[in-house]
Parts: sequence; C-alpha cells; structure tokens
Amino acid sequence: MAEERIICIGCPLGCLVTITIGDKGKVADISGYQCKQGQKYVLEEYKNPARILTATVLTQNSSQPLLSVRTAAPLLKTKLTEGMMVLAKTRAKPPIKLGDVIISNLLGTGVDLVATNDLAD
Amino acid sequence: MSEIKTEVLVIGGGVLGTAIARELSRYKVDVILVEKEADVSWGSTKANMCIVCQGADALEFRKEYRRSKLVWESIPMMEPLCRELDVPFKRIGELTIIRNNDEMTKFQKLKMRAESVGITTHQFIDRETLHRMEPNIAKDAIGALYDPTIAITDPVRLTIALAENAKQNGGNLITEAEVQDIARNADGFEVKTSQGNISCEFIINAAGMLVDKVAAMVNADDFVVFPIRGYVAILDKKVGEVVSHEVHARPEAPGESNIITPSVYGNVLLGTPMKLARRGDYATTQEMTDVTLRNAHQLVPDISGKDIINSFAGFLMFRNWELGWHECVVSASRNVPRFINVSIGYPGVSAAPATAKEVVGLLSQEGLKLDENPKFNPYRKEITDFSELSDEEKTELIAKDANYGHVVCRCETVTEGEVVEAIRRGATTLDGVKFRTRAGMGRCQGGFCSPRVTGILARELGIGEEEVTKKGGKSRHLLYKSKVLLQGRE
Amino acid sequence: MLQDVDVAVIGSGPAGMAAAIKAKEAGAENVIIMERAEQLGGLLHQCIHNGFGLLYFKEDLTGPEYAHRFIEKVMDAKVKLLLNTMITGIAPDRKVTAVSSQEGYTTFRPKAIVLAMGCREKTRGALNIPGTRPAGIFTAGTAQRFVNVEGFIPGEKIVILGSGDIGMIMARRLTLEGAEVKAVVEILPYVGGLIRNEVQCLHDFNIPLLLEHTVTHIHGEKRVEAVTVARVDRNKNPIAGTERQIECDSLLLSVGLIPENELSLMAGVELDPVTGGPIVDETRQTNVPGIFAGGNVVHVHDLVDNVSWESELAGQSAASFVTERKKAAGRRVTLKPGRNIRYIVPHTISGEREVTLYMRVNDLEEGVRLKVGGIMSKALRVVKPSEMLKIELSSAQLGKLEEGTTEIVVDCEKRGE
Repeated sequence: MAEERIICIGCPLGCLVTITIGDKGKVADISGYQCKQGQKYVLEEYKNPARILTATVLTQNSSQPLLSVRTAAPLLKTKLTEGMMVLAKTRAKPPIKLGDVIISNLLGTGVDLVATNDLAD
Repeated sequence: MSEIKTEVLVIGGGVLGTAIARELSRYKVDVILVEKEADVSWGSTKANMCIVCQGADALEFRKEYRRSKLVWESIPMMEPLCRELDVPFKRIGELTIIRNNDEMTKFQKLKMRAESVGITTHQFIDRETLHRMEPNIAKDAIGALYDPTIAITDPVRLTIALAENAKQNGGNLITEAEVQDIARNADGFEVKTSQGNISCEFIINAAGMLVDKVAAMVNADDFVVFPIRGYVAILDKKVGEVVSHEVHARPEAPGESNIITPSVYGNVLLGTPMKLARRGDYATTQEMTDVTLRNAHQLVPDISGKDIINSFAGFLMFRNWELGWHECVVSASRNVPRFINVSIGYPGVSAAPATAKEVVGLLSQEGLKLDENPKFNPYRKEITDFSELSDEEKTELIAKDANYGHVVCRCETVTEGEVVEAIRRGATTLDGVKFRTRAGMGRCQGGFCSPRVTGILARELGIGEEEVTKKGGKSRHLLYKSKVLLQGRE
Repeated sequence: MLQDVDVAVIGSGPAGMAAAIKAKEAGAENVIIMERAEQLGGLLHQCIHNGFGLLYFKEDLTGPEYAHRFIEKVMDAKVKLLLNTMITGIAPDRKVTAVSSQEGYTTFRPKAIVLAMGCREKTRGALNIPGTRPAGIFTAGTAQRFVNVEGFIPGEKIVILGSGDIGMIMARRLTLEGAEVKAVVEILPYVGGLIRNEVQCLHDFNIPLLLEHTVTHIHGEKRVEAVTVARVDRNKNPIAGTERQIECDSLLLSVGLIPENELSLMAGVELDPVTGGPIVDETRQTNVPGIFAGGNVVHVHDLVDNVSWESELAGQSAASFVTERKKAAGRRVTLKPGRNIRYIVPHTISGEREVTLYMRVNDLEEGVRLKVGGIMSKALRVVKPSEMLKIELSSAQLGKLEEGTTEIVVDCEKRGE
C-alpha cells in the first residue's frame, strides 16, 4: 500500500495529511486532518492537483511590454512548466480587453489562457 | 580609441585628481584625466564623512608636516571654491568632547600649542553651554573644545564639479579607462589603458588606493602607503538634528575618532575608528556596525541602530601608519622625471585646493610651461535641485519643461528633469544618477525610483534597460529580458 | 480641477479606489484621486497572481482583475483623477501640495483627505546586511515590478530572504520564468506567509526553504556572486560555524513592509509606533480633523478584500465629515492589546455601533481563546503573526459594555489553562 502526504492549505494549521492508497489507486485510508473541509481539500488535491497558472506574455505593437494572463481554469500542476514554454512563444497584439482569450485550449487541456488586463496600442 | 597624445596625464578621478585637472585648466596645457571606474569620485572620495577641517591636526599642527601645511593653506580656499563650483558648504562647527579631567588637561596643553603656531580657532565651552548647544550629548560630558570653523560638504559633488569645470575649461576626461602599464620613452611616457594608449610628457599619479601600484609600473614608487579602512553608517533623516555640530571624542590613537556629524542633506553620519585592512576589501561586517553604534552611544546615547538606512566602508592610504601619525606624498618621483605622486590619505578633501596648486608648481619645476588660459572660467553651476526651488520657480520650471513635473524619486523629491540633466552631464549609471541627484539615497533606497531611473537611462543613452548598470562594468542591474531564459531552455 | 475639492484621496491602489467610490456614494460631490503613477490601481497591476477578491467578490481574481472592477466603478462614479501627480506635502490645515507635468506645482485645500499611500519595503540598508554593495540586490516588490510590468528578469540564480507572501510568490514567479531559485531563507521557524503559498510556491517547485536561517554576508564587487547563510538561534542571532555560501547572482529581500506615512507626519497625524500607521478611530479618522486613512498605510494587511472594506469606511467617513460637518461625538473606548496581541485597528471605538476589529498576534500559538473585554470571546485553532485576525463586534455585544467604560483589553489566552 502506497502512502502520499499532502499539506492542507485550508487554515494556518497546515495539517499534514497522510493518504494510504490501496488497489487500483483507490484511497484506502486518510488520517491527520482536523476538520471536514481539510479532508475534502486533501482528497481533491490528491485526485486532481491543479493550479491556476498566472503569468505574462510579451506584446507586439504596444507601448506596454507585457500583458498579464491567467488560465481560465486550473491546470494539472505538472503542466505548468510546459505551459510557460508555450507562453514564451506567444505575442499579444492590441487591442485586447480583459477576459479575451489569448490561447485557446492550452496544451490540449481544454483550458483557455485569458487576458487579465486590457492591452492598448 | 586610437593613440592619443597629451601633455599631462592625470591618473585618478578622485577629489585630488580632479582638483589638479581643474587647476591645470587655468593654463594652456593639454590635460587628460583617466579614471578606471564609470564615474569620478568612486574611490576614497566617495566613502568618507564629508568634513572639511584642519583634520584632528588643528591640535596636532606641526609646521614641519607637509600635510599640515597643505591642509592649513587649503582651509581658506575651500569655501570660495565651493561657491565657485556651486557645491554645498556648510559651516557647522566641531565639538571635541571632554569626558574627564585628564582629557581637560590634555586639551588645554594642545590648545596652547596650537595657539603657539597661530591656530586660534578653538575655544573651551563648559558643561552647561555644551548641553545647550547639543542637548542629546551624554550627560557625563564635562565640556568641549569648540571650533566654529569646521564645515561639511559633499565630496562627491565637489569632485564632479571639479571635473566638469576642468572640462569646461578645456580638460579631457575619460572614464572606464584603467591604467594597465606605463613605459618611459624619449618624450615622456607611453601609457596603456583599458581604453587604448595615451602618450604624454608628464604624469600626475593621484590613483588613490592604487597610487603605489601605478607608481610601481614605472619604478616611481619611492614611498610606501598602507590601506586603512573606515566605516560610515547613515541615519534616517527623520532622526532629525540629533546633533547639529560635528561631534567627536578625542582619539587615543590616530584614526580612532568616533565621529557623529550631520551631512549637508540632513542625514546624520556615524564614523568609526579606521584600521589597517586588506586593500580593496570593502565588505562591511556586523562588528563594524556594533563598534560604531557602541562608540556613538558614548557620545549620544539616544542613537539607535534601527535608524540606520545604509552604511559603507571606505579606504585611505596612509604613510607611516606604525609611527602613529602620517605624512603625505606630494612630490616628483626621485627615480622618474616628470612623474608626480600625489597621496594625502587623510584629510584628502580638505587638502585638495592647496595640493592642486602645489602639484602645478611641481609640474612647472619639472619643466611644464604654464601659459595662462585667458578663457578660464572658474564658475560652474550645479544641476537643478527641484526640491529647493521656491513655489514660483517650480511652477516656471515645469511650464518650461514638463519633465520637471514628473517626480521619479519620492523620498528625495527628484524629478525626471533632474535625472535627464544628470545623464546629459555625464552620468551613465544608476549610481551616477544617484550621486548627482540623490535619487535612490532616501529611505526606500531606490525601491520606487530605480525602475523609473533605469528607463530614463536606457532612453537617454539609447541602450536597452537590461544594459543599464549600477556602477559600470559587470554591474548590470537587470540580467535578462523576459522570456530569454525560457527560450534558452529549448 | 482643484477648486472646492470635497474629498482628496491620496493613492489609487485598492485602498484609494474603494475610498473614493464610497465617498461619492455617501454624498461627497467633488471627489478627486491623486495618483503618482500613470494609471489607477497601484500595486495591483504588478500582482498578476490570483487570490484576490475571494471574500469581497467571492471570486478568485488576479490583482489586475481586482483593480479592473474598482477602476470601472471609479469611472462610473465620475471620480476626478489626477494621474502622474506626486503629493509633496500636506500641512496640518489640510493644505496639499502637488507636482505634476500637467498641472505644474499646485496647492489646494480639500475639505477632507483620505490617506491611502500604502507601504514601502524594508531595504538592505535598513537591515544592514554585512558585505559588499553590488548590483543584483532587489526588494521583492521592486523585482516584481521589473518581472511583471517592465519585462525583465533580474537574474538567473536567485536567493530570496524572507518567506512572506511576496517572497514566496516571487519564488514561484521567477521559477516559472526560467530562473533558478536556490533558496528561500527565513529567520523564523515557520514561513512568514500563508500555508497556501508555502505549498503552491515552494513545495510545488521544490524550492529549498531554509527555516531559522538568515543571510549574513553578501559577496560580489560589481554584481552579486554569492550570499552566506547561517542558522540562527532563538534570539535570531547567527550561530557561528553554521555558515555556508550559496552561489547566486541576485538577492531578493522580502523582509517587511513599512506603512508610508511621511505625508501623514507632515500633516501632524499621530502614528502608532507598533503599526507604523496613523492612530485611527472606528471611522478611520486620524487625530487631525478631516484627515482619514485606510488600507496598508494604516497597518499591513494580508488580504486586499479587507483593504477595500476598511478604506470604504474611511471614504464614507470623509464624505460625512464634509456633508454633515459632524464632530466626533460620543464615547471613545480605547482598545488595549493584552496578552499576545501586537496591535488592534481601529485604536478606539465608540462602543455604540457594530464594528470590525483587525488585529495581529505576537507569537504563533495553538488552541487559543480570543477575549474582547468581557463582551466577546472566540476559540481559535491556531493564531500566527502573519495572519491578521478579524473580529466583528455586534451592537448587542457592545451593549454589554458597562457604562463609563473607557478601555477594553483584548487578550489571546491559551485554552485549557
């Protein structure tokens, strides 16, 4: 039986929670949490450790050198570095409004990359 | 830079080198000053307590000490010089604190001896008067020796001003030119620098911390100097007038003064005993701070380490350190004709005006022809100080040039207009802008202004922001443009 | 533009914008924001990460998105704007001196002022870290501006001193942009910021976290070449013999924020030496009538949501001051920090209206009970100096105050003792 340790980020206690994984990757046991929200968070984090990626892309034809962007939904945390490589090649051209899609379906994950600010000339 | 010829090459852009270059520009003499850093004044001149005085040797004055003579002659020249060059000069007076009766007796003797050689500037003041003049002085001080003539200045501004005035009057300045080798030839010298070769007839070696190394390049090192390091801590302006005079305790040994002094900008500086150190080891240590604070507390108990906003170490080159006091080097080399070594050590700033004249005299003795330059203009104007202008002047200035309405340094109220002025007058680095405008010297230490000043430097110099340096050479401020590191990974 | 200003708000970050919008809503007609940058939003523009607005909007927004919501409201409310304008002075009679390229050098006297200048960062000079003075030393916020707004990465091998939220967020940001963050160095035995950031900024990227360590020396003549780190003892003093060098080209400092109150001092505003900000009552009025304050300039917040709420109070009070000319009436009950409480904002309350108290503890403790005088208590699992506590006092609870009460002590006690 494998064990995975995850720190709960729900409150300043930061409980270290241990998940025991049994056959077929199913969660056999979970211990170390002190509240229901913590238990919920840790199980979710185990199943789907996803993060919103926030970053910048370079611009073209704009007096602003950068445009701040985010993924519209969380990405698997293992995809963040690869995502940054795609962003490094991306150029944003004005006019752009906050919320506009800059890259759709980033890395085939179904998650869009959107602007978090306007971009003018 | 292709081969350049000149009459006089001055090596070293500190207060002495620039004072000499400026003095030479009174004559029709071809002068080039070479400075190894990206700007003038970045050696010993930059790292001291900014006090203009007789040096502790008003009480130690000996006619036979050449250094005392040069300082003594310089003193009356200092204020007029600062006025001509439009640099700060503030007479604040000096209090040498008397802590016990032994010191009282010692001081009485010293004062009598000083008077016997014509130094009559000191007066004794009693405990009550002392505490009225300086309410924050330690309560156990029984009195002080007061010299009202002591003044403070900004040696960096003075040096920049001397260099500018020298240039105004025909002198040449080359920065980032490190002297690498000197060879003698029939006409004088062939000097190899990091920016190319210069041939010249006379050399003034005012290379500060490297004065002996430069002299050794051509076997003109008939003297020995030792690197002595001091430490200065700068207090936040909000501490206000914790002292309003320069205050110090009598040194037990040379260089041991604990000094507390206001600066011309309203900060208070704490200075600590100087010690022999490894040449060029500018690193500060916790011990230096601890010793400085401990010493400062003996004079002014209320000073707190929490008020320190910056600190730095500085070097001076002394002769005869072991003998307990030191002499200077201002002489033509015994071995090499037309090569003049100049090293004052302490007080370099105070001795600069007379030393410059002395050196010109030595050059003349070595054969330099001195025809007066009829166009010599001793006056030079400082960069605008927006924060000091009147309301009307501010309004007028902004109307003339909108850049003066854009404040880029919040802590010291420095405008874009002043930063541009500084760059157009020679600043090519963040520190260069800082020393000319004070942008970056305030309590946030560049946190707010450095992005803005970096942008202005890039724009004015026509370079990328990532090429802007803090202090020349490899001190680039920002190493990479965005995404370059990621692209390098592919 | 500067004639008959009712409320002048200094700063257009989350505090200033919230105050200005609320001042307008509360009936002040001529409300103006003075901002030294070229745009509204203050530091929100460089905070491109998410975590903003979870409470205020119940959404997870990035800094620019949070700013955008308020910028729209500012424009809709027809608040007047003076951008690219630096305030160089405020006199005790509320005379304001401003400098801008457009308006030149101007002075005017608004009927009320809201101070919303935020904070500056603690510097290397203030910490007096021994060593040399090379290029490559940045405070984390200044580095953040270069990375997220100007388009430059300060260096390739980074050491970060301080594990506050800004430090941890920059650790992640620089790693994502291709730099190597060799260590985050923290003098305390626990991180200075949120656990969320410890996990998502440091653990996620395997960035070494050196707890109970500090930087004792900076090396490098022209550019940073290395730092020396050492373990510290309980008194935060470096332990001799534990030093080791970490090669790097940049040192980022995330070692503390200082409320920027130079203008407040000029105006005669009394500051609390513990918070570094003005002493305020529950309306966020300072000791100078007509001068109010909100946001980080009062005390360093963790959540921008609280900055907005607090500043709305300040804006509303400024408007009331102008429209109703109401003098501060009624009781003044002083809130006194008791056991393990570092400070409480506001410093005084009337005791007559419901009020929100913001406070911080001195030491990390688990299993505590927060006691507000005898009128309210709350059990908490853990309290940390880096996580602000927010306590709401209802009118009912305040009604329990004894007549003539002039002081309430707030204690943080260990439970089960």
